[in-house]
Parts: sequence; structure tokens; C-alpha cells
Amino acid sequence: MHSYRVAGLAVASEIELPGAIPAQPSRAPAVTVRAAPVPASLHDAAKKGVTWQIAGDRFLFQVPDVARFLLSGGREIIFEPAPGVEAGDVSIFLIGTVFGILLHQRGEIVLHASAVRVNDKAVLFCGASGAGKSTLAAALAQRSFPLVADDLCAITLAAGVAPMVQPDGRHLKLWAQAIEKLDLADRRGAAVRNRLEKFFVEPTVALAEPLPLGAVYALREARPPYRPGIERPNVVDAALLLRRSAYRPLMVNRMGQKADYFLAATAIANAAGIFHLTRALSFAAMPDVVSSLERHWLDIGLTEKAA
Amino acid sequence: MRTIWLASYPKSGNTWLRMLIANLSAKDDAPVDINDLPERGGIASARGPFDYLTLIDSSLLTHDEIDALRPRVYEQLASGAQDDEYDKPENVPPARFVKVHDAYSLTPKGEPLLAGARGAEAAIVIVRDPRDVAPSLANHSAISIDEAIAFMSYNESGFCGKTHRQHSQLRQKLAGWSGHIASWLDQADIPVHLMRYEDLQADTFGALRRALDFVGRPASEDDMRRAVAFADFAQLRQQEPTKAFARRRGRGRAAVSSAAARRAAGATSFRPNRSHASKANTPA
Repeated sequence: MHSYRVAGLAVASEIELPGAIPAQPSRAPAVTVRAAPVPASLHDAAKKGVTWQIAGDRFLFQVPDVARFLLSGGREIIFEPAPGVEAGDVSIFLIGTVFGILLHQRGEIVLHASAVRVNDKAVLFCGASGAGKSTLAAALAQRSFPLVADDLCAITLAAGVAPMVQPDGRHLKLWAQAIEKLDLADRRGAAVRNRLEKFFVEPTVALAEPLPLGAVYALREARPPYRPGIERPNVVDAALLLRRSAYRPLMVNRMGQKADYFLAATAIANAAGIFHLTRALSFAAMPDVVSSLERHWLDIGLTEKAA
Repeated sequence: MRTIWLASYPKSGNTWLRMLIANLSAKDDAPVDINDLPERGGIASARGPFDYLTLIDSSLLTHDEIDALRPRVYEQLASGAQDDEYDKPENVPPARFVKVHDAYSLTPKGEPLLAGARGAEAAIVIVRDPRDVAPSLANHSAISIDEAIAFMSYNESGFCGKTHRQHSQLRQKLAGWSGHIASWLDQADIPVHLMRYEDLQADTFGALRRALDFVGRPASEDDMRRAVAFADFAQLRQQEPTKAFARRRGRGRAAVSSAAARRAAGATSFRPNRSHASKANTPA
């Protein structure tokens, strides 16, 4: 059995989960992961999508020709690989979509975001696949901002205290091109799947402890009509932005969590701030993006001017 | 809501036609801005709707694995699934007109990538003289005209197919200029209306009328006149100053030799003409 902490939860897994944060074994893990036969469909499914079905507290999810996963009650994950599929091909989807859905199933606020530590707070960069989350986190990690998360950020909200961000792992996942452009070849690890030119990359420093939330930036490409810069949307737009930045927005919709995300957006906008970060999607623009973020962190009080 | 593909090889007037159709619903004196054409759902190869509906991070799938799932996504969208968390527009247009540059092809599992009749009711296919496509493509892709012609002649060419980085869109197999048009005309899954770019240019109103009649999209003469005026080239140029976006008939054509044009058009030497218009492919 392997033991990890995923989004702050103690996890006991039969299968190795590369990238997850290793932990001491727990007597009562919050989540167990094991291999077992998984049905092709749920006969009592109330909701169905392209790759998924929901029946009561069970959630069936499949990556065709890779594996089927059955999540129950936010506590148990069973998986059945397709014939001939290697463990690594299963685990990459486990630590991503499957844990993301499990967190949605548990009613948590979970964002599709990378994060770095700025002073003693976590700064999040939200965006869909391809928005540049990992690349920006990698560039900031090179500027000595420790990595907090690469892909999935669970946020814990409680009355009277700052929203807390749970770290998601110890690795970035970067494409070969980004590794080359950011000069990270010496930190390149295994391929995230053996058939992809996308690799685990070990940052200089990665954190394993939760941090108070400092700011949330939704990444947006600078193309007309959007001009480069950082701006603060009004509270209504910020609420929509946060819901769209959920790890799997469709689940917010289908699991009836819109009100939860609206309340979370209000709390986060008040405690930390939700911003649009609009920039050119090019490696050449990265130094400017990092400088504008550093100026913004001064402006919003996340950092102080050097004496 | 009905789904109609607006299918074309790149740089063949697809955005112009989308502008025309979007402006049929324009309010009074306010043209639909080219930048407001919805990106989401705006093109079949958009990554966002795929990730949204499958729950899978498409950057963890190979191009072929993505293709195997794409028909399921198009079926869902055609049956009314939303593709994002934006609120639905107040005035839902009578049909979804979705741009697509993919050639009409089969997935590795042998089913139509675009889900056949379950993905859309029909297609408007726009074809443009390859001698004009070549310089436009060269300009768009920052390559030489010779390179553009080679690209158009190569039946394995496509967009967004690299494996060492992530593209903003899903891979599109284009099949070469002549393979592209042949793939759409030869398929028997959905009816096709063939529109020549040159006809759209010579008689915008008439070409638009024929296309709308074909798909059964009602539009008043006033709405159409306004759409034609709003979508006018000058508006486009004004609204998109940062992009080299232009309909330039003939410009650059001089640089394309007739031999090169024959290469681009390929061995089938397809000659678009009016007799192809409104060719309805009925299932064999």
C-alpha cells in the first residue's frame, strides 16, 4: 500500500501515484484506491455524459482504452485498466481528473490552477488545459517562488479564517518545448505517459503544507479585445470566473454546486482578490509577465518593497 | 437546436460567412464584432468544449485518442449540451453554425470524426480558388508561398498536430487542398451545399440567400441586407486592426505560377463550378 496526501486528504493506494505527496500511512485514510472490476455502466444512472455516469453517490468515469474508474461517496476509488495498459497510464488520470471529481463529490471547492508561494501565501493561476498554468508556475519557481500546485488546488473555507490552499504535488507537468525554452532539461523526469512528450519536472522547491490564499489570477491570452495587464473584475464576473475555474466546471453544474462556488467566490474576492491576468502566450513575454506580477504583489500588499 | 457545419479549407472565407450569419441577428445599428464571434463552440476543433464535456485533460491524450472521443462530443453538442459555464444568450439563434477546418474523415475506430448525421444536419462547404488560398495561407502562417503550396499539396498536412507542445486547438487533419474538398463532397452522411468564395464575393446577397435557403434558416431581406453591410470588408478591417485579416482577391496570385497552382489543386484537378452548388448527398 502507498500512502499520500492529496488535497489535504490521507490516501491509501494500491497503485503508485507519481507526483502525489508521499505521507506516513494513516490508520483511517480518508480515501482508498484499489484495483477491482468496474462495470461498463451504472444501471440506475440518473445523469450521463460523454465519459461519465452518476447514480446516487457513485460516479463512473472512463478514459476509453485506458481505464474505468468507480468513485463511491468521495471515499473509495476502484479502477480497472483496459487490457495491456501500464500502471503509469492509469495513475496520471487518477491524480488528475479522478481525484478532481472525488473532491467535487466531497463538495469541496477545487480549482483548475497552478500555485506558487509568495511570502507566506499561495497565489493561484487558473486556466483550462493549455492556458499556461504550469509554464507560468515553472517560470516563477525559477525566480525562487516555491511550487504549491501544478494542476489542482483544493481550497478550504471556514468562518473567520483565511481561505486555505492545499498543495497538490511535487512536480510540474511540462511539454518538451516548455522544458527547452525554460532551460529545465536537467530537472526533467519521466514522461507523464510513455506516449506523450510531456514530462514531470521537479521544481527547485515544492511545498507540502497548506497556505492561506493570497490571490487568484485567471489566465487569459492577450488577443483582441483583451489587452495585456492585470485587472479586477466586478464581483458578478468574479463569481462566474471562479465557477469557470473549477477543476471540472461541468461537475459544479451537474452536482448542484453553483451556490457553493458563488459563496466561495465572495469569500475569496474579499479575503484575497480575484483578477484577470491577460498576457501574450509566448515564452518571450514571460519576463514581462513575471515583472508585472511582482509589481502587482507589491500593490496588493503580498510583498513589501525592499528597504 | 440544429447544427450546421461551415466547412472549408483554411483561408477560404469561413470567418466572412460566419460574420454574415452572426449579423443576421444583429441589433439595429450594432454590427457583431469579429472579436465577439464565440470562440467556444465557434470552431469544431476548440479544445475547451472537449475538456469540459469529457472531464479529461486533453493534454494527457494523444491526438488519436482525442479523435476517438470527438464524435461523442459532437453528438452531445448537437443534442443541446452546453459547452461552457457561460450563461446562455438571451436570444438563442435558430441554428448553431459551427466552423470546421477538419477534412471529413474517419476516426481510428472507423466512425466519422464529426459524428455524421448525429453531429450536424448539413454542411455549407466553402471553396476558394487555391491560387488565392496559397498567398493568404502563406501570410497567415508566416511561410513562403512555395511552402504554402507544398502544404496545400500534401495530403497528410494539418494544423495543431505537433507532439512536443500543446496547441490551443485540437489536431485538424486537412488532407491537402484537393483532398479536403473531395472529402466533404464525397461523404454521404449529411447533405452539402457548396459555396464558391468567388460567388460570395461577386454576389454576397445571392450566395448567402442560397445557403440560407439550403439549410432552411429563415431571414428577412432587411436582415440580410444589414448583415451584408455589417460584414463588409471595411468593417472587418476596422474591427480587427492587429490581425492581417483581409479578403484580397487576386492579390499575390501573380506570385503563384500556374504550375504551382496545379500542384496545389492536386491530381484530382477539382474545378469548382455552379453545377456543384446545392449538391445534396443522400445516403447511398
